[in-house]
Amino acid sequence: MRQSQIINLDEKRDFEVNSSNLKHVRSFCREVFEKLNIKQDLKDELVLAIAEAAQNIVKHAYNNEETEDKMEIKISVSNGQLEIGFFDKGRPVEKDKIRHRKIDDIKPGGLGTFFIQQIMDAVVFKEGEKPWINHLILSKNLNN
Amino acid sequence: MSYRVTEENNISTVYLDGEIDMDVTERAKEVIMPLIEAKKEVHLNLKDVQYMDSSGISVLIESHQKATELGTKVTLKEISKSVLKVIMMAKLEQILNLD
Repeated sequence: MRQSQIINLDEKRDFEVNSSNLKHVRSFCREVFEKLNIKQDLKDELVLAIAEAAQNIVKHAYNNEETEDKMEIKISVSNGQLEIGFFDKGRPVEKDKIRHRKIDDIKPGGLGTFFIQQIMDAVVFKEGEKPWINHLILSKNLNN
Repeated sequence: MSYRVTEENNISTVYLDGEIDMDVTERAKEVIMPLIEAKKEVHLNLKDVQYMDSSGISVLIESHQKATELGTKVTLKEISKSVLKVIMMAKLEQILNLD
């Protein structure tokens, strides 16, 4: 079956912003990607990219502090184009400060953003529309 | 994540099981680091780790660096396919001790 036969979908879910919910983020993604006719390896990579982005919200937008806020993750596929939206109400993202560490600089940390960039075609930060503060969009063409 | 530790000939083997993400990395470090600080050779058996993210990879890097600093060694054993893929994505296969 060709990948262009991927169905269109649009699903979203809210998650409390804390590290113990990252497993629920992964479960949601796996559940959604089960509906797509894409290879398991690609599904695993996409789950990793999404979980890393969710982790960055917990770590950076909220400094890993306790909050009652929720983040929203929206996964859409249209004509083989995957778009994943992340919405949060944490600290505004300072786009200029986002960079992954140099890959030959071996130290713990800074790998999450590198993984996201390796896996996805595009990573775009936008100002969120009310009530959201941050809106991150990850996209990938599944037809390639 | 769950774990068990076995000891044989001054080698401590830590069998990790489950998914290793930011939520469990402190617990993983609490198990692994004291063994390294006791200057034991440590084997991390990863055959039952189905998922590891950048936080888990950070634990592997920290363990490796601490062991090197203290003159001992951490070796990754029976690495599951999914973990190996993430190690390779991080381009660490030549840095960490893989067996």
